[in-house]
Order: sequence, then C-alpha cells, then structure tokens
Amino acid sequence: MCDIFAISAGYNYTPQKYLPIFAEKGRHNMNGWGIGFFREDQAFVEKSDEQVFSDQQVHESFQRLARVIDSRIIISHVNCPQSGSLHLSHRHPLMLSFMDHTWLFAQVGNVDGIENYETVQEPRLEISVYTARIFEYLRDHLIIAHERNPYISMFAALRLSIQSLLSNYPGNLAFFLVNESVLFAFFNFRSFSILKKSEKMGDVLLITSIGEGLSQNNWQTITPEEPSKGKLLVIAGPDVLYAADI
Amino acid sequence: MCDLFAISANRDYSAPKSLPIFAEQAGKNLDGWGIGYFRNHHAYVEKSAKGIFKAGRLHDSFQRLARVVKSKIIICHVRLRTSGLIDECHAHPFVLEFGGYEWIFAHNGKAPVIESYKSSGIPMKEALSDSARTFEFLRDQLIQHFKQSSDAAGMFEALSRCISDMIEQYPGKYNFFLSNGQFLYAFTNHRQFMLLKGSKKLEGALLITTIEKGLSDEKWLRIAKSTSRRGMLLAISGTDIIVRQPL
Repeated sequence: MCDIFAISAGYNYTPQKYLPIFAEKGRHNMNGWGIGFFREDQAFVEKSDEQVFSDQQVHESFQRLARVIDSRIIISHVNCPQSGSLHLSHRHPLMLSFMDHTWLFAQVGNVDGIENYETVQEPRLEISVYTARIFEYLRDHLIIAHERNPYISMFAALRLSIQSLLSNYPGNLAFFLVNESVLFAFFNFRSFSILKKSEKMGDVLLITSIGEGLSQNNWQTITPEEPSKGKLLVIAGPDVLYAADI
Repeated sequence: MCDLFAISANRDYSAPKSLPIFAEQAGKNLDGWGIGYFRNHHAYVEKSAKGIFKAGRLHDSFQRLARVVKSKIIICHVRLRTSGLIDECHAHPFVLEFGGYEWIFAHNGKAPVIESYKSSGIPMKEALSDSARTFEFLRDQLIQHFKQSSDAAGMFEALSRCISDMIEQYPGKYNFFLSNGQFLYAFTNHRQFMLLKGSKKLEGALLITTIEKGLSDEKWLRIAKSTSRRGMLLAISGTDIIVRQPL
C-alpha cells in the first residue's frame, strides 16, 4: 500500500525531522517517492523511482531535500509495488495549473475504471496512470462547477467533484490536493493520523495515511464511518479550517 | 451605518483604485476610518477619528495609504458612530493577538446588548463600544476552542459556533470582517455583502464590501443571510471562497 504525508505551516517550514521518519515508516513501499512543495507560490516536484529506504538508510536525495526545502505546504508520496508502472514520470505528486493556481496531487487507493476517463480540458497529463485520470477528473469538475457559479466555495465544488467521481468510478480513494495556500485532504478508506505540533518558529500541522502517525506524540486518528462516503478536510497554516463528510 | 471593504489576493496587493472609491461611496460616514493589513505575519492598523471625505476631498492620509499599503488581505472600515466615543481608539479595525495569530477585526452593525459583556481575558479598556466587546467575545470563545479542541477540529466550525452563541446571548445586528492573515472571515446577519472577483476596472483580487451597489458597474454578487437562517459566514483565501455556510 502506498502512503502519503503532508505538512502545513503558517510560515516556510523545513521538514528535516518528519520527512525522513515518513520515509522510514513507509519503507515497505519499494517503488519510488516524490515530494511536492512551493517556493514563492510556484509549485515544484522532486521525485525518484528508487527506494525511499534501503540498507537501513533513507534515500540520500530524499534526506537532502528534507533539509533544504522550505515551504508552507509540503506533500510527499511513497509508492508501493502494486501501484503499477515503474516509470519515474508516473510518481506522485502530479502537477496541473488551473483556476489561477498551480495544484499538486498525490493519491493512494484505486477507483474502478478511471483509466478510461478522457479529460475535456487542457492540458492533459500525458501519462497512462490512473492517478493522472483521477486528478484530471477532479480538475475538470472543479472547473465546471466554477463556470456554473464563479462564487461557489472551493469546498462545495470539490465535494461535488468527489461525489461525481465516486458515483461514476467507485473505489477506495485518499488524496491530497494542494495549492500554494490551502491543502485539501480526502479519504474514504484507511485511517488518517493528524497532529498539531509546536516548533521553534510556530505551529505546524502534520497529516499522514500511516495509521500510527510518525512519532510517539498523541496523533489523532480520523476514520471515515458509514454512511459517510468519505471525509474532506480543508487545512491552511497549522489549522484545520473545515472538516465534513462527503 | 458604518461600511466595510476588504480585498483578498493570492499575493501582496495594493488597492489604489478601489479604496478611494469605497471611501467616496461611504462618504456619509463622518466619524473615522481605518485600514488594517498584514506584513510578515504581523497585523498593522492605520486609523483616524476624522471624516474620510470632507469638502469634496478624500482624507489626505487615506489617499496616500491607499497607494502604499500592500498585503494579501486589506480590511477597511469607515465609521458612523452608533456606540462609543468619536476618537481614534474607537475607530476600526481593532487588533488582538491570540491562538498563535494576530487578528484584525472590523465591525458594522448595532448590538447594544453586548456592551455589557465582561471579557474573561485582557479587555480592550480604551474602547467602550459594542464592536470592541464583540471582538473580545469572539477572542475569548476562540481561545477556549484552541485550548479544548482536538487537532482535527475545524476553525470555521469553531467560529461559526462562537457567533451562534454570541447572537443567542447578545442579540443584535452583526456584520464583520475577521482575519488572521491566512483567511478573511466575513459574517453578516443583517445587510448584504457585495463580492467581485476578476474586476476589469478595479483590482483583480477578490473585493468584498457592504456598499449596496458595489464599487463599480460590473456584476457584483450579493450575499446575504436567508430569512430562515441566523447569518452567513464565509472563509476566503486569496481570490477563492473556501467555505460558505449559513448559520
């Protein structure tokens, strides 16, 4: 099973402590890794098809990046062997620009038949991996919702997009969708762990698909429960702004 | 009645066009003005007890500030006194620090009942008005939220609950902007908010004001509470409405 991890802070944060722990906890994911972050509101992605953890060591580049990146929002993904292709370009996070933002997307789980989805928008993600189709589907439906109502809230638009996606392509899905200011976290399977932590420069919020969290601290576990079709969280800075069932 | 205007953008923005138009439209408000903004996570306010518009001219300092203030979120208030004295202390916006943020608050409304509120925290002694007590009430309640809630509890929900409690305990007409620099929260249980984004004539950020016709002849969206609800709360980040929910 792949894993995802995100950090959100009210200031540019360097993830040298938590990214390596995430890599170690996600060591069973042997098929590559990716880190997405923002610098002066521009999105950047660094990824590799090498193992994030081998010979009792976190991947050297992953470690160095963890020391160097400073960003208000950072997301990371480690790939499992079941996730399909071994090609580097298929690693998450993926990037698309729309609605005046550059967005990063990282996902775990699988939804049925989504690989057949054909986007109606440009640009297309020219990779044949189902994560790209999920990202395009959400992008397309966010744009449609905003075309219908330019003042629809982002939460409402994304909720509609997810409902539509899961109605047409049922399955297990968890993802982070982020722009330079806001992190949306959705999951309809597995448990997510969340922790607000005080650091020297201020508070940070950590959220991961790794059930037990990344440290001995008192991580709060959130599990979507029936009849909810999933949980959607809006996070900005070190705070959850809004959390609701889909 | 006072008036409110705010601009929210994805990057630091100035409002040299819309701020003077807002001032002119709100020119009947004679009892002071203020501009609040953020720089490096700190909240700053410039305010005055003088009329914003006098003898057909915009207040000199206001005009200059409109050209110079630069921030992702700018909040402006012009005052027509309904509570408190006419002096600089009573001009809005107000600033308070709590929950790890510096917050800017500007209010337009009338809630005399809340003037009796005694804060459990440090009171804003210099201001004896319903607006100051409203800000203290929200501050005190939000601090409780920060102390008691889990990491996954939403700030929007917390603010929504605080406002509901406030309206129940201290009924009145409330209409305010509250910002911690991350989000601009806008609440109303009377009057309307007019919204515009992507303006071709003013700044291209998201603009929001209580001025009924908006600040240009473009297509402004009117947002108000429905008659069956207690109010409407919005959370805005950059040019996006992130959450919009009736109370």
